[in-house]
Amino acid sequence: MITWVLYDIKNDKARTKAAKLCKQAGLYRVQYSVFLGTVDSHEKDTLSLQLEEQIDESQDKVYIFTMSKNELKNASLLGQAFDKKMVTDEIRALFF
Amino acid sequence: MQLHINTYGTYLHVKDEMFEIRVPESEGSKVYKKHHFAAKKVKSILMAKAAALSTDAVFLALKFNVDIIFVEFDGKPAGRVWHSKLGSTTKIRKCQLEASLNKQAVKWVKEWIVQKIENQVEFLKDLKKHRESKKDYLDEKIEKINKQAISIAKLEAESIAQIAETIRGIEGTAGRYYFSTLSKLLAKEYQFEGRSSRPALDPFNAFLNYAYGMLYGKVEKSLIIAGIDPYLGFMHRDDYNQLSMVYDFIEPYRIHVDRTVFKLFSAKKVNQTHTDKIKNGYTLNEMGKKLLVENFNNYFEEETHRYRGRNQTRANALQMDAHTFANTLINKNQINNDNVGTV
Repeated sequence: MITWVLYDIKNDKARTKAAKLCKQAGLYRVQYSVFLGTVDSHEKDTLSLQLEEQIDESQDKVYIFTMSKNELKNASLLGQAFDKKMVTDEIRALFF
Repeated sequence: MQLHINTYGTYLHVKDEMFEIRVPESEGSKVYKKHHFAAKKVKSILMAKAAALSTDAVFLALKFNVDIIFVEFDGKPAGRVWHSKLGSTTKIRKCQLEASLNKQAVKWVKEWIVQKIENQVEFLKDLKKHRESKKDYLDEKIEKINKQAISIAKLEAESIAQIAETIRGIEGTAGRYYFSTLSKLLAKEYQFEGRSSRPALDPFNAFLNYAYGMLYGKVEKSLIIAGIDPYLGFMHRDDYNQLSMVYDFIEPYRIHVDRTVFKLFSAKKVNQTHTDKIKNGYTLNEMGKKLLVENFNNYFEEETHRYRGRNQTRANALQMDAHTFANTLINKNQINNDNVGTV
């Protein structure tokens, strides 16, 4: 499922760690504190638990949303847009 | 996803439990561009020459079942890193060896090759639908190719060695009719003279060779996962260190390559920028590889087709067939043993 992770984390170390966890889960960074990608529900739960460990619940906020493919298709992206195909795992091969 | 590494001086290593690919901005440059990939998103990594790989990356690949394949310039896999565990029980390999020496091998080889030829016929019939003017020509060729399939189906023997030469001959004849027919259906500038490899004598063969190379890699992996020994062939048997079972098992799946490549040429997607002229022949360059890999992956791993009552990708169907093959080998053996027991 297509999953968004948005956060505001005050502590630098915790924030860096949170970004790393999102990337390791297979999400892509689409803004400084916004990650997006396709994970299954099990992976989403794992990530949610991992992020919970990092944050200071009294001041930080982390939101995790899921979205259907159709909803993403209808999203309008202005300016420097991310690659919709990349975040939905539709890109099968990359060349370097 | 698959990561294809072709650029000179690229380095694949690990950063934060993720694959990091470091590519020089231009040849010889000390300025690098870095790309990160979560290990669970990567299915296989195909590396050409002149790239570097760290052992950490190999460990990460082993941990996440990522297939690292080293490919030659023509797409042929030269080797791979895959964990050394057998895909399944050793019993399958014992049964495979047994089958290779008796009548079972005859049945399987006939089945694979007849399937291949039938696929070719099916393909030509599909092409006929939109080529009214070539109908008679195609009908004549289809009949000729069909005859070869029938002669193979009719062969009887106690072991494959007795009929291997005959099969090769008939198969070759069918192949010659088939490829010359495909050539005739292409625009003049794309036509080619039969099959050629190392080097390919024309762009069409360069595309075919590269795609068959990719397919070898995929078939080998499917066999390993199913617990089959890729080196123990039925028909291709006696060559030292050859992936004989891969060459046997691949036959019914070659059509996926043929259809993909033919479509690229008949739709005039291929032009001179896709191949480079080398000594005595042609080779696929970066542009050509990109065009081919994207189209082949799409056809093989993304599009679904109806197979054994399910909508599934062709890659999936290949894996399913490999498992069925392995299971049949074991079960056959079981039945034989049971018979011995009752006597």
